[in-house]
Amino acid sequence: MTAGRRIGEIALGVLPIALVIALWHGIALSGIAPAVLLPAPAAVFARLIQQIGDPNFLGQVGITLFRLFAGFSIALVVGVALGLVATGSKTFESVIKPLVRVLAPLPKVALYPAMVLILGFDDASKIALVVADAVFPILLATYQGTSAVEPKLVWSARAAGTSQRAVLLKVVLMAAMPSVLTGCRIGLIISCIVVFLAEMITSTDGLGYLLVRAGRNFQTVDMFVPLISISILGLTLNAAFNMLRAWLLRGFPEER
Amino acid sequence: MTRLSAIPGLPPLLACLGLLAVWEAASYTFGISGLPPAHDALRELPVILSDPESLLNILASIRRMLVGFALALAFAVPVGLMMGRSRLVAAFFNPLLMIIYPVPKAALMPVIMLWLGVGDASKTLVIFLGVSLPLIYHSYQGARAIEEKMLWSAAAMGLSARARLLRVVLPAALPEIMVGVRTGLVLALITMVTSEMIARKQGVGDILFNALAMAQYETVYATIVIIGIMGFVIDALFERLRAHLVAWADPVHDIAVGST
Repeated sequence: MTAGRRIGEIALGVLPIALVIALWHGIALSGIAPAVLLPAPAAVFARLIQQIGDPNFLGQVGITLFRLFAGFSIALVVGVALGLVATGSKTFESVIKPLVRVLAPLPKVALYPAMVLILGFDDASKIALVVADAVFPILLATYQGTSAVEPKLVWSARAAGTSQRAVLLKVVLMAAMPSVLTGCRIGLIISCIVVFLAEMITSTDGLGYLLVRAGRNFQTVDMFVPLISISILGLTLNAAFNMLRAWLLRGFPEER
Repeated sequence: MTRLSAIPGLPPLLACLGLLAVWEAASYTFGISGLPPAHDALRELPVILSDPESLLNILASIRRMLVGFALALAFAVPVGLMMGRSRLVAAFFNPLLMIIYPVPKAALMPVIMLWLGVGDASKTLVIFLGVSLPLIYHSYQGARAIEEKMLWSAAAMGLSARARLLRVVLPAALPEIMVGVRTGLVLALITMVTSEMIARKQGVGDILFNALAMAQYETVYATIVIIGIMGFVIDALFERLRAHLVAWADPVHDIAVGST
């Protein structure tokens, strides 16, 4: 792709976003929708910039991020471990597969009331919800990736004297890395979404709570700020993840 | 073990029984009121299902979900296919979609409620938004991966551009679209429950959270079981449909995504 064409495509991509903001501005300006219902974009972005300098707001973002990463890390460890074990052992496979078949299509948000009842209203129930939602894409991707690994790779490693367990970690997991990372990316975005929802449903802090609180007080400008923040947060996490992925997959030229 | 697991439907059934057993055991071990034993919760099931009001609520939820899903299907698949076939269309939509993707669609609920009220319209719109994104994404991927030669042959045989999209691109992308449909179905269910949790007026989510607020823990768990069964049944029905529609294709290994 030539540089000119690339720039053209980027310009084309910015266009709809600019159009949406222009339309938004137009509607707000024309007075069809009162400012209580739809604040002007300038007001929203001004508020966002003001909030970013506010330590209280940053504290709320920090709380959300902590829950997000705590949940995602647990889901990562559990998902990859279970996926690997399911590939490595027939017995575990026959246990894990039907469990996943039953639990994966269950909307985890519906479990949230149960988590609140068992774990309380604090961080634990929110982290548990993130884990429940993020673990399945990671588990499935790991399982599918590891069970598709070329058997010859395993045989060679076995022939070279590597133990069964070490093969699973050093050969199978490494060879399945692209698939595992795809699952992780889906899990990461899901964590981002779910942590926000959990905070919206029952919480006293975090970005989701800021949205609900603003909604209760009809402060429309403050409702848009958390929404835009979560979008920026998701984009940043996705970009950071892509960089990590490019580094981890430097041995897989075709995957990058 | 191999022979047992070969009977269709048996392993998931065993998994369900196992989960119920773990639940029952956990409730006796911890002995907290927030975790009633499984049999108490299951006893609430017929009570909920025979109450006409809650039944109407559940049906209203399902109706909203189906309407939102059908609208998303009609909108997202053509958009995705066009993105897959035209670089310009793809370049136009991609950044916008990237920005929207990490925003929980149900989080738009408070804002949409300001505009459309707490009724059906705002909930259906949220479900539509939630389902559209994976559908667009997978239709796009499916249409992009089509072998160019098939399109050239179709063009050489004199098919118009629109006919090519309908008769070559759509069938060829169908297996991948089906992956999107499955993700979308799971998402529709999740968004349905969440939107009803946020805009409490009627529906399954409302039953669930009212029971939680009134400390009727058996009802909470029974509703969770109902929602779980809905998810499982939808998933199983879809599996049937997919097997029928794309029997010719290699089974696409998909990652069942549940995002909101």
